[in-house]
Amino acid sequence: MRKTDKYRYLLVLMGLVVLHFTVRGRLGDDRIAPDFLLLALLIYTIRAQPGRSAAAGFVIGLLRDALTPASFGAGALAHTLVGYLSSWAKAVFFAENVLVNGCLFFAGTWLRNLIVLVASGRLGGTQLGWELLVWSPIQSATTAAVGIVTLWMFGGWVRVRRAEG
Amino acid sequence: MPIGADRYASRADTLLFLGCFGLSVAAMSLPDTWRDPIAQGLRQTILAPFLALQQQTGLLAAARGRYDAVVAQRDSAALAATFLPELRSENVRLRSLLGLGTRLGWGYVPAEVLHQPEPTNPLTFIVSAGRQKGIRPLSAVVSPEGLVGIVASVDAQTSVVLTWAHPEFRASAIASDRGVSGIVAPHGAAGPGVWLLELQGVPYRQQVPEGTVIVTSGLGGVYPRGIPIGTVVGLASEAKGWERTYLIRPAIHPSALSHVMVLTGARGSGSDIRGAFQPDSVHP
Repeated sequence: MRKTDKYRYLLVLMGLVVLHFTVRGRLGDDRIAPDFLLLALLIYTIRAQPGRSAAAGFVIGLLRDALTPASFGAGALAHTLVGYLSSWAKAVFFAENVLVNGCLFFAGTWLRNLIVLVASGRLGGTQLGWELLVWSPIQSATTAAVGIVTLWMFGGWVRVRRAEG
Repeated sequence: MPIGADRYASRADTLLFLGCFGLSVAAMSLPDTWRDPIAQGLRQTILAPFLALQQQTGLLAAARGRYDAVVAQRDSAALAATFLPELRSENVRLRSLLGLGTRLGWGYVPAEVLHQPEPTNPLTFIVSAGRQKGIRPLSAVVSPEGLVGIVASVDAQTSVVLTWAHPEFRASAIASDRGVSGIVAPHGAAGPGVWLLELQGVPYRQQVPEGTVIVTSGLGGVYPRGIPIGTVVGLASEAKGWERTYLIRPAIHPSALSHVMVLTGARGSGSDIRGAFQPDSVHP
């Protein structure tokens, strides 16, 4: 692995973080706008080990909890689980394919929302159903779309390295 | 074999995951008195630059929106300001024409000036009245301010007006307050006096003071008597002690016209229509 690859890889992740705090607010309804921060985590898990992915998920989740204190801890739990499962499943089951990665992004986003909703216990009944069956799939789709575009544009920078580790 | 499946089963990864999992559950279990300071600390340290970035982006978006709104308002105001004076001026002119029509009573046809972009437009222009409305060649064309010109040719729907600025324009004229008479013609086609008229052939022994209003004399059978032509602004030349030529500022510039009145032949060239024009229509 070349040293420049690492920097370019971090550049993509930082770009997504910046997009999250700059562009996302202008992409329409907050419930359906793509989650750039989660996407950065999922892209990170493509090439990172499950333990590190879980730690990264925990940090990101905790930071997000600081922004939404009503469900403090639920985000950390959700991102930890999603990070670990994504990294593990990506290594064990999934082939290196953009569409497969898109499905991973979709599933990861939806699963994150599910865990947050269940763990926080803030919503229930019809509201929970709407969130899980309507808004979450839409947000998962938009996040997956952005993820596919990102991989299509910067796929060479974030590709899994067999020799890594 | 899938990528690195063996290495992903390491105990360190599992322990790290379990540790994070446990911390997450612990975070969920924290009382509000503990979690609020933690969240506040994270917002004021690690998240501070990101929140500032988000705030600046929001301000930028709002500023952009306000800028667009201000630009739109400015453009609307500029557009309104562009048309407002023209509309007011046109209204004033139309009211003046109505007043003139009332005073003339009969024997006239109102017409709209169909301006063209050519630079020669002030010399000859088209009006929206022709043979079907009773217009005939050599009909006088007037505005509330005074004489505009003469009809040069007539079509079915339109007419060509030769204005006082045309080099071939001539009109027999007299001073409104004295018995001085002469021929009015364009002063020239070049120089600062290009849009002025001159009163030619004034006997040397007669002087015309500055500010005197010059009107048509009615001689020659083309223009009725009493149509204001312009105001004397000074002496143009003297010819060897036997005649003087005076400069006249025209009553109205052709390019300022939007509507005119064409005096029809039924009125007769010998009639006097001085009273139809407002006394202040020619500004000294």
